[in-house]
Amino acid sequence: MGGGLLDQVTGVSSFALLRPPAHQVSPRARLLWRIEAVLGIVPVVAAQVVWWLADPASPRPIQVWLAVATVVIETAYLLIMPLWRYRVHRWEVTDEAVYTQTGWFTQERRIAPITRIQTVDLTRGPVSGLLGLATVRVTTASSAGPLRIHGLTHEQALEIVESLTALTIADPGDAT
Amino acid sequence: MPFRRLDARMLLVHPVQEAIRFLPALFGLFLTGRGGGRSPWWDVGALVVIVVWGMSRWFTTRYRISGGQIELRTGLIFRKVIATPADRVRTVDVTAPIWHRLLGLARVDIGTGSSRATDDRIQLDALAAPVARALRAELLHRRGLEVAIGAGSAGSSDLAADPVMGSDPRVVGDGPSMSSGPEQVLVTFDPKWIVYAPLTTSGLLTALTIWGFATQYLGNVVPQIESAVGQLAAWGVVVSAVVLLGLGLVAIATLAITAYVLSFWGFRLTRHRGGTLHVTRGLLTTRSTSLEEARIRGIELGEPLGLRWAKASRLHAVGTGLRSGDGMESGRAWLVPPAPRRVVTEVARLVLQDATGLDAPLVAHGPAARRRRYVRAIVPAALLAGLVTLAWWLGRAPAVVTIAAYLPLLVAPALAHDRYAALGHALTPTHVVARSGSIERRRDVIEGAGVVGVVTRATFFQRRAGVRTVVVATAAGRQGYPILDVPVELTDSLVVDLVPQASAFLADA
Repeated sequence: MGGGLLDQVTGVSSFALLRPPAHQVSPRARLLWRIEAVLGIVPVVAAQVVWWLADPASPRPIQVWLAVATVVIETAYLLIMPLWRYRVHRWEVTDEAVYTQTGWFTQERRIAPITRIQTVDLTRGPVSGLLGLATVRVTTASSAGPLRIHGLTHEQALEIVESLTALTIADPGDAT
Repeated sequence: MPFRRLDARMLLVHPVQEAIRFLPALFGLFLTGRGGGRSPWWDVGALVVIVVWGMSRWFTTRYRISGGQIELRTGLIFRKVIATPADRVRTVDVTAPIWHRLLGLARVDIGTGSSRATDDRIQLDALAAPVARALRAELLHRRGLEVAIGAGSAGSSDLAADPVMGSDPRVVGDGPSMSSGPEQVLVTFDPKWIVYAPLTTSGLLTALTIWGFATQYLGNVVPQIESAVGQLAAWGVVVSAVVLLGLGLVAIATLAITAYVLSFWGFRLTRHRGGTLHVTRGLLTTRSTSLEEARIRGIELGEPLGLRWAKASRLHAVGTGLRSGDGMESGRAWLVPPAPRRVVTEVARLVLQDATGLDAPLVAHGPAARRRRYVRAIVPAALLAGLVTLAWWLGRAPAVVTIAAYLPLLVAPALAHDRYAALGHALTPTHVVARSGSIERRRDVIEGAGVVGVVTRATFFQRRAGVRTVVVATAAGRQGYPILDVPVELTDSLVVDLVPQASAFLADA
């Protein structure tokens, strides 16, 4: 079975032969995910406020319950998700393959051999840029296979991009 | 070598195509013209503009094949020049929609096997049909000759100087040094197969879509319908329900059969010595597509529920750089339409050349996977039944609908059992096999060499149950082929078998 609750949380299983990837992402990523969650709830809150103000005859009890539910769910999400995610998100780059573990409620592990890598991108959104974080995306010939590492520090991300570029140049295998 | 124009008969076709494209606008123009007191010359003017626009396409398109290069120049305002070495040609598709067939024309799509959508294919729309066939034979025979003789030998240089569009196209196709030998015919259409048309889910969906559109235009038939409804009411509920159901089934079957015939009539799959498979099919629009065997990375053997009952199935090839078909179909090409099972498995054996993937016994996924199949089938059906019962109890739903809502619940256990029976995977030395599904059952046999990555996914509930979904990422076909609910004991050894580089991450490595 899946082991105790902690194992189900982190996705580690006593039957798994593959160890998790070696490195964790930057601790600042938790703050990034929190900010993104808050930004994500803004439209919902705005809609509720507009509804409250625009229509004085609307049923107040329902709106109050809705607001309470929103606050409760969002607070729980803000508290739990970043911590859970931070435990799960891991990455590793070796000479032969790139290995990532992502997610929190649904978790994923992705492995791509270096010989199959087609592109390596580094992106910084507005929020992650302010926090000094970046995302590395590695694509293969399959559109089901891109690997993403969120929440790396900018320096870490640059290092990874450079080492991957060097590895893929050194190994001009076919990227079918 | 001078540039040539496409066939002059396209001057007739292009305006019609443009007119069809602008039909809604033309229609609107016509209506407003009738309402106001505007001179009818405006409508004529609009028509003339469209015709000239369509014709300009012919005037501004030129092509040339010389020196081993195919060049195409098009465009009036935005000019485009596409050039491709003839050696890089991988697929040559000849399509003849109904307009083209009537005029004896055919459209040639030359592909270099690049699967990127932004790469331009060279499309010659259209050439005279014999010229198109000769061009196709020439381009593909070059491949065959090169493959047979070996790269870079003296033989191919003769072809390089040989213009395809010579003054007498009949000479080119069957030149003495270019005889391809007999093409091996793998499967030809048998008209008895139209029986299988209504049994596929896509056939059903097509039929229902057409039915839906058709019912919108039944306004003219309303008085007759009203009298018919009165008649049915007189007969009573049960009889009328049976009659309606029967009529509905007949209509759906007819529509599905029509779609099947239009799409697959005259289906022919042949193997060419140059290492390509050719598929010809179609009734009104004939399509001739070619697939390079080196780019075929596996097959999908589909056995939807209806076909399974009739002991039939269908076959797709999964490949990289396949551009046959549009949109949804790209990456997958038809090898056999819905046909008897032994025909399909025979063709699959011939195409795969290593048939262990087809016969390999599949590893069952264990009790956890079985439990999940039952839960996933029964719980939504129970929810549906519960909600509808609640609605009925509150007086908002008629009894008939409530009883009908329990049907999924009755069927769910059988469905779950069937789904579990189909679930499994296997690894042969060269391929990975995955099978799943009941209503849409598919057996995917994918080449191990075509695997570019592996994704192991698990929702919270899957982790509790001790299973994972392993998605095989490949550049071919659907891009990702999931193997559902693999027990966690087997997951990591499967991952390491698929991507050997993952052995570096073993816990004790």
